[in-house]
Amino acid sequence: MRFFQPLSQYGLARTLAETRTRTHLSPGIIGIEEPENPDGYSAFFDVMLPSNYSNLDDPFRLIWRIPEEKKVKALSTEFNVPFQPFYPPSNDTELFENDFESYTSRFLELEDIYKHIYSLPINSIESSSFDLVLKTDVSLIALIGLNRVFNNQRKLSETIVALKDKLSPDIGIYLPGPISPAYFSFLVYMGIDFFDNSLAYKISKKGYFILEDILYSPNYHPKCYCQYCSEKPINLLGHNEQIIKNEMSKVRFALEEGTLRELVEKDIHRSVTFAATLKHFDKNYSKIFSQRIPVISSSKLKCIGEEALYNPSILEFRERIRTRFQPSIENKIILLLPCSARKPYSFSRSHIQFRNAIRRSGKRVFSIISEIIVTSPLSVVPRELENIYPAKFYDIPVAGTWSDEEISITSDLLLSILKQYPKDTVIINHMHGHGYHQIVDVLKEKLPLTIIDTASENSPSNYESLNNLTQTLSKISEKFDMSSYSLSPKIKTLQATADYQFGEGTGKILFSKDIKIKGRYPKDQQIFREKKHIATLSSRTGFLSISPDIAQEIIEKSRNKLEFGAEYISGSNIYAPGLIAADNTIHPNDEIFIINENRVIGTARAFVSGEDMNKMTSGSLAEVKKKLKVKK
Amino acid sequence: MKINPILSSIVKQIREKSLEEREHSRRIVNWVEDHRLASGIGKALVLILPTRGCSWALSKSGGCSICGYIYDNPQQPDYNIMITSFKEILEQKIEGNQKFSLKLFTSGSFLDPKEVPLEIQKQMMIEAAKYDQIEEIVLESRPEYVTESILNNIAENIDINKIEIAIGLESANNNILKNSINKGFFWEDFVKAVNRIHDKGAKVKAYLLFKPPFISEYDSIRDILESSSKIAELGVKTISINAMSIHRGTFLSDLFEKEMYRTPWLWSLIHVCKEIKRKYSDIRLICDVVAGGSERGAHNCGECDKEILSIIKQFTLDQDAIILDKTVKCSCIEDWKSFLFSEKITISELLDIY
Repeated sequence: MRFFQPLSQYGLARTLAETRTRTHLSPGIIGIEEPENPDGYSAFFDVMLPSNYSNLDDPFRLIWRIPEEKKVKALSTEFNVPFQPFYPPSNDTELFENDFESYTSRFLELEDIYKHIYSLPINSIESSSFDLVLKTDVSLIALIGLNRVFNNQRKLSETIVALKDKLSPDIGIYLPGPISPAYFSFLVYMGIDFFDNSLAYKISKKGYFILEDILYSPNYHPKCYCQYCSEKPINLLGHNEQIIKNEMSKVRFALEEGTLRELVEKDIHRSVTFAATLKHFDKNYSKIFSQRIPVISSSKLKCIGEEALYNPSILEFRERIRTRFQPSIENKIILLLPCSARKPYSFSRSHIQFRNAIRRSGKRVFSIISEIIVTSPLSVVPRELENIYPAKFYDIPVAGTWSDEEISITSDLLLSILKQYPKDTVIINHMHGHGYHQIVDVLKEKLPLTIIDTASENSPSNYESLNNLTQTLSKISEKFDMSSYSLSPKIKTLQATADYQFGEGTGKILFSKDIKIKGRYPKDQQIFREKKHIATLSSRTGFLSISPDIAQEIIEKSRNKLEFGAEYISGSNIYAPGLIAADNTIHPNDEIFIINENRVIGTARAFVSGEDMNKMTSGSLAEVKKKLKVKK
Repeated sequence: MKINPILSSIVKQIREKSLEEREHSRRIVNWVEDHRLASGIGKALVLILPTRGCSWALSKSGGCSICGYIYDNPQQPDYNIMITSFKEILEQKIEGNQKFSLKLFTSGSFLDPKEVPLEIQKQMMIEAAKYDQIEEIVLESRPEYVTESILNNIAENIDINKIEIAIGLESANNNILKNSINKGFFWEDFVKAVNRIHDKGAKVKAYLLFKPPFISEYDSIRDILESSSKIAELGVKTISINAMSIHRGTFLSDLFEKEMYRTPWLWSLIHVCKEIKRKYSDIRLICDVVAGGSERGAHNCGECDKEILSIIKQFTLDQDAIILDKTVKCSCIEDWKSFLFSEKITISELLDIY
């Protein structure tokens, strides 16, 4: 059994907790000796520096900070470094490799391997001896030599990917040695769980005074007003320790809040190589991140730098719009609209004006229009999905200019949706501005559909433009008999949300004309069918939850399935040993369906991605939400 | 096997390359220094004999990974010149009522007949025996040359009680001897040699090497303490702790240039001296710091080095541990702690990122 249990996941970053007591430990700081003030530390090394005759036989021990009352229950409260490879990895290869193999075979002979810290030099990640270690319950790996590739974006990315590809998410990674707190957010994002405070001690002649992102000389630095700096003489160690703890606390908070990516986008500007590495990662390895990013979230998403275009949450959104969103192709009119600063869009002044203009063109026009909002960096938001994450939660600095990359990504996605409509569909382009213009030019070139511009002269909210829109809609809609289009926008939203969340085609099965919806924003919507409650739509996240017997209806088509080894679920968690297989499309935080022999026996909230669930051998994978009622 | 063939072949390659480039002199380098004798403070006359050099260093093993003394030895020694100047130097330097310790170093093994033929060993002992002021004679040797017949050759020509044989054990840990130093002998060989010397009535001095390659400073402190205990239990009365300094043309020097090795901190030396002297107060503990204060020798931050070096020197002379308690205040003591930890935990892959 592994010592750690991931409680949440955000890309390669995780919060790790002690598996039995659920004590939160990562991301965290490890003290190199017992700290005077233990607050803010996850663990400390209980090692005398230097050793003396009285403690010569003491092991190199790591003590976890687990609350006194929980210690009895915890799997363990201390680890140790039993021994290490003799030769450092960057030395002669032959010398190192033989020795590393014998180190590993000694390690494998230890009892309770989970209590021992395994030293893994980065050049041994691909070795077969490391594979053997991964088959054990090894819980904490000290990663050696990663610093050597910090100035090489390609190598750093490759190393991280090679390692993370092998690792189960319940194995902690400790990056030892002095590392600036300025890089914590980026390194946590890359999947490092623990750092130590050795940098804080480096305060001698070549020493430092740390502030958030820069190291200053102890004699010349901005004034600091913390308690340590007001001591006389100033307590540099106390000050530096505190800065390290505070930086880690920020990272931890962002991870828990689901805003780590934004913090990283901000912090990477502190290092040229790390900024380059993030870009390299986004371009080449975005999949390994995006499949581990929660789809269901309600955190704010600030898209400020150009990195945001490749934010894994946004990549996942675009991917699902492309593959899961089923446009209402029976609709004869497609209306392209610009985004608004206020979210959801329909609450914004401009969108209220648009919708009034639509309404003026005829009572039931809404049911024959597909409204599509064009925006960066999300590219395309169908009206039906404006309430889900990240559509409702992103924020961008509006400058009106679009980069070539934004234009090409957006027009690509737009084309893939519009291509599905029949040739007699009319597109109304109610957008204005250079970027939008260029996107529509691409559409005009590549689509056989008629495109009418209604805001080419003035801004979309301008009276003339709104009038244009009403007139154009009235003219077109005259041709159509609208009585056959009776699916209300609310039902369309439910269907699109189910498709987005559970898989294409599930929406139509779950939500038909005969459903009743109770509750209005900001309350959650309760959905009933034949007087039976079948689903809840959260107004906070915009996502659905359904009960096990309803999930049974979509089981043929749905994703998010976890095959479970027992007929009934006991307890409130799904544990790894009970897992037969998990759907690889499961994202952390997803509403998942627990299946036994094609029967849905419960619903649960996933802690980690499906891919990672399949790697775990111990610990809990998901928290049970509802169980199928057992008839006794 | 007492050597690691891979390490040995790397050491040998470096050795062969450097041996081609060596310069040498046949002069006996010598000097007089203050010295702590068993009977009290006196002088030491140190002579470096220009033999052909250490047989281990010249062997196909490549010799010790850390030692570059061989590059100072001549390829063709001239024993006639050696004996003549030996006599001259003794005449010149031994004077008055001063007590002397005579140190005969070859940068190899004095007892090795290939370096110093038995006849020359004998003549030197006869010559030294003429001076009453010489109370102690220190001869350096690897343990394999400490044989019955070689010891007899010494004992027949001088009072054996005056003889102290210094053996570079470096560490009592065979793993370190084999995989770090390429020493070519084990602790057990040292024990045999010590017993032979003690049986003959001579004394033993053991050299310990502080911080050989690949041993973190943290682990090296532990090793020095453990090794000292083992040596003390054998009845050896003098231990000399040699803090690593970087010799050119060695395997260690390559590591150092690749920034994979830092010479020891002076804080560590103070610490080990204090620990050992407190536990084994009757041991004479010698700590001569070669190249102290420089990058290639034991050093601290640069500001407190001088003060600490003088404390260590004073301790070696007085053998009084109290002087080691003298507080030197320097903030690099925190840096040292951080280093001890980080170097150990990163297996010497110590690269700071800030």
